[in-house]
Amino acid sequence: MPQIIDAKGKPCPTPVLMAKGAMAQGADAFTVLVDNPTAVENLKRLADNQGFSAAVREGNGTYALDFVKTGSCDACEAAIQSPLPAPGTDWAVFVGRDIIGDGDRELGTNLMRMFFYTLTQGEDKPGAVLFMNAGVRLPTLDGQVVEHLKALAEAGVEIQVCGTCLNFYGLSDRLQVGTVSNMYDIVTRMQRAGKVLSL
Amino acid sequence: MDYGLITFASTHGAISAQKALEPVAAVRVMPVLREISLGCGMALRFPPQALETVQRTLAGSELRPGEYALYAITGSGPALRAEPLPAHKG
Repeated sequence: MPQIIDAKGKPCPTPVLMAKGAMAQGADAFTVLVDNPTAVENLKRLADNQGFSAAVREGNGTYALDFVKTGSCDACEAAIQSPLPAPGTDWAVFVGRDIIGDGDRELGTNLMRMFFYTLTQGEDKPGAVLFMNAGVRLPTLDGQVVEHLKALAEAGVEIQVCGTCLNFYGLSDRLQVGTVSNMYDIVTRMQRAGKVLSL
Repeated sequence: MDYGLITFASTHGAISAQKALEPVAAVRVMPVLREISLGCGMALRFPPQALETVQRTLAGSELRPGEYALYAITGSGPALRAEPLPAHKG
């Protein structure tokens, strides 16, 4: 009889954490009970990422997700196929603003352009450049920085741009380089990097 | 030359030249090359075909001839060559 985890009435992300707890204990099959569609979606995503199938049964406002280990996992396969960077060689740049430093905006704007120019010239390129808050003005509005980012992307550098921030600044349809991203992917990319430079 | 480079005696001079040149030539901001370590850290690069426009625009700007210098850059890394160019055509 598979283990039953009753997560009804538990706030997010408790149901996911309870399911992860069962996986960590080595459970190959278990059922999670929840009472809202958001929890169902989160649990399905967890199943996909961890190599489980999760069939959903619904009745009387309760959802039962039957987790069964399948051993195959698209995200895991992708991770296995992509070579891991050697420790210390993968690094990322986090850009949370559109100028470098405090003080004069004109100078700060040019320092930012010079920074990306210099990145394109060097051998040791970052694995990723991550833009948030006013930083998203760079891959949308700054022609010179866009040019450098395109060169970096061609050299294999991931360019991730915060979608929430693009939306906030009304720039969603003006992204010229990189992919629209979210906090989960940006944080995950930071965690994977050996070091993160913050501008 | 692969591209032209303008160095400046001051950062204010570089920004002033940038404003004058951006409407007429495809200039890009870059750090001064280590091989030419004079002036402030901010330089402008331009495509070879823009040389005359750059010379003419700078000559008509508020910058004085001694406040900037032009170079023709060829190659990169250890093979980089920087040849001084006249500030004015002719």
